[in-house]
Amino acid sequence: MRASLSRRRFLQAASLVGLAPTIPTFLAKTSWAAPTEKEQPILVVVQLDGGNDGLNTVVPFADEGYAKHRQQLQLPTANLHKLDDSIGLHQQMQGLSQLWQDGNLAIVNGVSYPNPSQSHDVSMSVWQTGRPDSRDVLDYGWLGRSLDQLKEGPGSDAVFTEQRAKPLALTGRKCITTSLTDAKDMQLHAQLQASTGQDSDGDLQQFLSRSTLDAYATSEQLQGLALSEDSDVPYPETEFSQRLKLISSLIKSGWQSRVYYAVQGGYDTHAGQLFTHARLLRRLSDALLAFQKDLQATGLADRVVTMCFSEFGRRVAENGSAGTDHGTAGPVFVFGSKVQGGLYGDIPSLLELENGNLKTAVDFRQIYATLLERWLEVNSENVLGGPHSAMEFLQA
Amino acid sequence: METQNNQLVTVEGAQRYICTAIMAAEIPLAESITTSDSFRTESPMSSPWSPWQPDESQPWDLRRVVHLYRRAGFAGTWEELQRDLDEGVEASVDRFLNGEVAAQPWDRFEATAKVLSDSAVASGDAARLQAWWMFRMLRTADPLVERLTLMWHNHFATSVEKVTNLLFMRHQNDLLRRHAPGAFGELLHAVLKHPAMLVWLDADSNRRGRPNENLARELMELFTLGEGHYSEDDVREAAKCLTGWTTDRAGKFTIDQDQHEPGPKNVLGEDLESGDDLLALLLRSPPTANRLVWRLCQTFLGENVAGDTERGELAQILSGNDFHIGKTVEVILRSRIFFSAANIGTRVSSPAEFVVATVRRLGLQQNSPSTLILADTLAQMDQELFAPPNVFGWDEGRAWINSRTLVARANFIHALCHGQCHVPPVVLDPRVLVAEAEETTVSAAVLRQRLELLISGESAAASSNQQTTTSATHITQPQAVELAIELLSAPAAQLN
Repeated sequence: MRASLSRRRFLQAASLVGLAPTIPTFLAKTSWAAPTEKEQPILVVVQLDGGNDGLNTVVPFADEGYAKHRQQLQLPTANLHKLDDSIGLHQQMQGLSQLWQDGNLAIVNGVSYPNPSQSHDVSMSVWQTGRPDSRDVLDYGWLGRSLDQLKEGPGSDAVFTEQRAKPLALTGRKCITTSLTDAKDMQLHAQLQASTGQDSDGDLQQFLSRSTLDAYATSEQLQGLALSEDSDVPYPETEFSQRLKLISSLIKSGWQSRVYYAVQGGYDTHAGQLFTHARLLRRLSDALLAFQKDLQATGLADRVVTMCFSEFGRRVAENGSAGTDHGTAGPVFVFGSKVQGGLYGDIPSLLELENGNLKTAVDFRQIYATLLERWLEVNSENVLGGPHSAMEFLQA
Repeated sequence: METQNNQLVTVEGAQRYICTAIMAAEIPLAESITTSDSFRTESPMSSPWSPWQPDESQPWDLRRVVHLYRRAGFAGTWEELQRDLDEGVEASVDRFLNGEVAAQPWDRFEATAKVLSDSAVASGDAARLQAWWMFRMLRTADPLVERLTLMWHNHFATSVEKVTNLLFMRHQNDLLRRHAPGAFGELLHAVLKHPAMLVWLDADSNRRGRPNENLARELMELFTLGEGHYSEDDVREAAKCLTGWTTDRAGKFTIDQDQHEPGPKNVLGEDLESGDDLLALLLRSPPTANRLVWRLCQTFLGENVAGDTERGELAQILSGNDFHIGKTVEVILRSRIFFSAANIGTRVSSPAEFVVATVRRLGLQQNSPSTLILADTLAQMDQELFAPPNVFGWDEGRAWINSRTLVARANFIHALCHGQCHVPPVVLDPRVLVAEAEETTVSAAVLRQRLELLISGESAAASSNQQTTTSATHITQPQAVELAIELLSAPAAQLN
């Protein structure tokens, strides 16, 4: 491992040894032992923030409603990556098109839930809790509840790679999420001992003490891993792409988390959508391809499935400012070498709308149930509060 | 004795004032008052929102002075804390309301701040605008207004990432500050009709026959009513009310009548015409008061301190005072619930609160660290000023805490105490917090006690007099720095 350290990394490691020789050693000795080498399946979730325009992502070019509702925003059919004789991927999605050709990309169309909300906040929390039946804010997310079931010992259960608050999806009763955007984020400069907190401390103090303990222990653990900054597969320089590279390097290093969660923002395209959306999709698609190629090159592809969703699609008819307002159903991507590529669900008709919006073809909880039952091996009924039939993009 | 008498008089005066504020809300206090355990009714004035008065079991002690400073400002220096401990709760809250908190006021403050913001805008560098705000928070004599400005920046979350114009962002920030303690209606009108918001929520593309719902939706969901208090049809109709809202070439608000949708628009069951009609309707809709109370409680109260009953009562106080934020904040800061034990140290400090409080605890607000570095530090803790993550702003509370931000917080304390946040770097000696003269010997116990008192107003060491006898052991400067790092990064220092 040492031989592969770049000079820069070596200097960082060296300075850390100097600065922080006494990070809580009792932790390393006891519960926070080195990660296990068990080859457990990993789920990567990519959240597209703001409501992705599904109709201009997976384009139903043969539906006459498309040309009717999309004038300024209509994508030329000739440039699309055709998936069949009626549907094509946006011209900038070369990367996903390649995954499609490899047979590793499942596209689930028309995904939403009953009586969908067009509020970013509400719809996102529905997707993150997996409980559209309850509009009250729920304390735990669908992944948090799943990771609680899977939890075998202490240690990080999920990694969140964004510079913002942990998503509700990853919140559980006992599971631990590590937040980092870069391995350097977790380099602790001070010589600090996290205290375990006093019994007399209030709930909030204990929460802080526990979180501090987790943070410092994770910091120590990451230092021992010597994450590789190099990858044989080149990644684009975009921020989102670098987050996927970080996830890949954590997986390669043997980091034990079962779930990784990344976010690409900017999809709330109310005005002047055409160029912005094309750029977002290119960045998304190029990054996802690099990630998958990287996993394949390092023999890890069989362990990872990636799912990509947004809180809602957009209004079928474009608005007056060459943009789109909030809508309902949209496509979900699932890919990985164990995934049965193909089209699932249906793009709802663009001529039979509900209040200007698409009808729902697939309930998103079916996708969750499939990922839980057939990939993470978690009882989905407990997580989703009821039975949902699995889909065939993963084999039982 | 004389001081005590004066104090008593002013306390009564304050009580009269609050009575007026509460009476203005026309609440039949004796009936409406909650009967939750912590605020059981004994007399008409024992509402959780009635003024708190110290007594033997709950004295005006250092713990409560520190609480006021942490919650209404950015922590106090030793001089400020001691002064207000002596002067009493009434005078201390007055200082916050009147913007007279600084122990050493600086008459060049506004002029200097203006130079900084002008040059930040001229440079086109958003980092310098962030640094300007850090400067304001560090040096202001009116920390309450800066806290309120932070609150409104979160409520009306607008990001330079999309607005791109630094002048707009600075103007909006000045506008939030100017209206921060005033009438909410005026603030709402000013913010909505400001180019930063109009650009942020695509007002310009909301036109006759081609509505864009962005501004209307966030106005109802985030700025006023809150989710669940309107329908999708209301959003569509509200968007029509706002059609034509735009800015002229000079960046001033104007309504393009050619782009304004004519005819009545039905919102929440009422027929409206203009955007002003819409704002007037939203301002008198009861859910708006509830949403503002939620925001005020998020800012000034700890976790689970105010229940539905207390919030309902505060909403009546707010409505009864015509949505005057300053008057309502005054009620909160003087209240029994504000000084109750349940409200002390039960709120997670935001990065801005944490960073500025730490600098002030160390007495470094004048010979201050680089505000550019401080602003960058804030971003690493997830609070990039002028760049909230999206329309919802920051979640506040426990959402600030995760492994990455905790490491960032610890690393900030480490860098600050080692003088590395200063440009050029300096050697800091925390012993000056307690040593009157340079040659004075300082013991670890005495320094620990002082830091603990600065952080929470309480010290385990303070209760024992043993330390005077053990204080002979001299602490070195490097040891003092290590001690400061330990205490300033501990969980207790991250709460307020």
